[in-house]
Amino acid sequence: MQTLINILVLASIYALISCGYVLIYRVSRVLNLAHGEFMMLGAYGLLATASSFGAHPFAAVGVASVMALLVGVAIYFVLMRHMTGESVLAAVLCTIAVGILLRGLITLTWGAQQHYPMEQLGWVNSSISVFGDARISAASLGLIIATAVCYSGLFLFLRYTRWGIQMRAAGQNPLLAAQRGIRLNGIYALAWGLATFTGGIAGMLIACDSGLQTTIVTIGLKAFPATLVGGLDSLLGALVGSLIIGTAEVLLINYVDPLLSDVAPFFILLVMLIFRPWGLFGTREEIDRV
Amino acid sequence: MSTPATLKDKAILEVDKLEVSYHRVVTAIQGVTLEVRRGQIVALLGNNGAGKTTTLRAISGFLGIDDARVSEGTVRFCGKDIANRFPHEVAGMGIVLVPERDKVFENLTVQENLEANSPRQSSTLSRMQEAVYAYFPLLARLRGRQAGYLSGGERQMLAIGAALMCGPELLLVDELSLGLAPIIVEELAERLRAIRDELGLSILLVEQNAHVALEIADYGYIIENGRIVMDGDRERLTGHQDIQEFYLGAGGSGRRNYRDVKQYRRSRRWYG
Repeated sequence: MQTLINILVLASIYALISCGYVLIYRVSRVLNLAHGEFMMLGAYGLLATASSFGAHPFAAVGVASVMALLVGVAIYFVLMRHMTGESVLAAVLCTIAVGILLRGLITLTWGAQQHYPMEQLGWVNSSISVFGDARISAASLGLIIATAVCYSGLFLFLRYTRWGIQMRAAGQNPLLAAQRGIRLNGIYALAWGLATFTGGIAGMLIACDSGLQTTIVTIGLKAFPATLVGGLDSLLGALVGSLIIGTAEVLLINYVDPLLSDVAPFFILLVMLIFRPWGLFGTREEIDRV
Repeated sequence: MSTPATLKDKAILEVDKLEVSYHRVVTAIQGVTLEVRRGQIVALLGNNGAGKTTTLRAISGFLGIDDARVSEGTVRFCGKDIANRFPHEVAGMGIVLVPERDKVFENLTVQENLEANSPRQSSTLSRMQEAVYAYFPLLARLRGRQAGYLSGGERQMLAIGAALMCGPELLLVDELSLGLAPIIVEELAERLRAIRDELGLSILLVEQNAHVALEIADYGYIIENGRIVMDGDRERLTGHQDIQEFYLGAGGSGRRNYRDVKQYRRSRRWYG
């Protein structure tokens, strides 16, 4: 039972991070390799707001989430907007540069030591017992709930709202979208904002659960195989891919060797790339663009 | 221009000595001058690579990816210069393009294709949607179908319908007839004329198929190698011997001398 819970938690972490990769890729065909850093920035953002709004934990979380959203929009307008029309590779390299820059700035500002935003907020990460002997921490439960809410929200948003439909339209044919009066810049900025928002939430919850250190960025790196296994342009794929990677990782830790946990995602990715390079739910012709 | 000033007031689109270059070097069209008046259907006829599509794209705006720009000349819509604007701005002003290919969002359903557009006044949205389904009843039956599975004719209907959802004053149609069965082309052309009459639109129609175009157009321009070589109303164009021979495929009587065939080349008007 505990194994099942662990799988669910790990898969939620990956899923919440991967939807950011998918959103940006699907709308603008750019692979955002700085997504792990954006997740980390969201977590440190919470640390910053926690120390200034210490008395009102919910306000701190709210402000940090809005900040995460605005960071994505700002990055788009300041930087990525100028990369439209350039080759996709240039845009991808640009995101790598942003990632390195962010990592450096964060280390400079907050140092490399461990922080505990949960304590600064005045909350206790209590352990809740479910199904008899299995236990789950409050922050992990929050992660599962946040993932469920974010995914159902995104599905509904993309399917039924006008902005969501325009987002799918712009991803499929940007030129036609522009000719039909859709503002591409607005749509792309929205996708970036939503991506850093969901990534930021993931970062905050991970930081609440297990403390915050710059090594958190490797979790973002491990969510990337989950995205690719599911297929880069499919939200459903990201969900399934995360489940597969999460399951494999937890089982390997439990039954083989905990040291394998960092290798598992990439090993599965390798197998996937050999047999089905476009992922489980990806679109086949998309893959040659990456 | 020989057009009297009084008539010119009614012009909704004026393209003057338009030049477009791709990648800053390749000149695709050189000195295209044409005019669309309010409520008119104007045909732009020409062969492959003559510059028809480029002319339309120049009017509707280029994206950064195209690496193309209007390097000379003006495009005026209702008196305002709109050369080198972004496509979504041009669409917002009331010029909407039905492109030659990739004309629908294939991953969206028919209904979503109509909803995805940014109309100029959002209040008219549901009314416009009913109107589109009334013009093309077939689309109403297919409204849940993914657009990628539509046939060529259905796609063309959807593309025209989606363009109408933007609330245009001027509709640019690139190759209405391309790849479609004659009976469907006939139907679409009829429908376009009805839409023009009811909504009071102006339409600039680009065609390789001169038969279709001259059937519904009030006025026509012939473009060759990036230049307008002839223009006139329907009667003048359909009556012209060279047009009959080259564009309408009506074989002249008996054999003709090559020099005679080239007659209109010598008499063409140069606007460059």
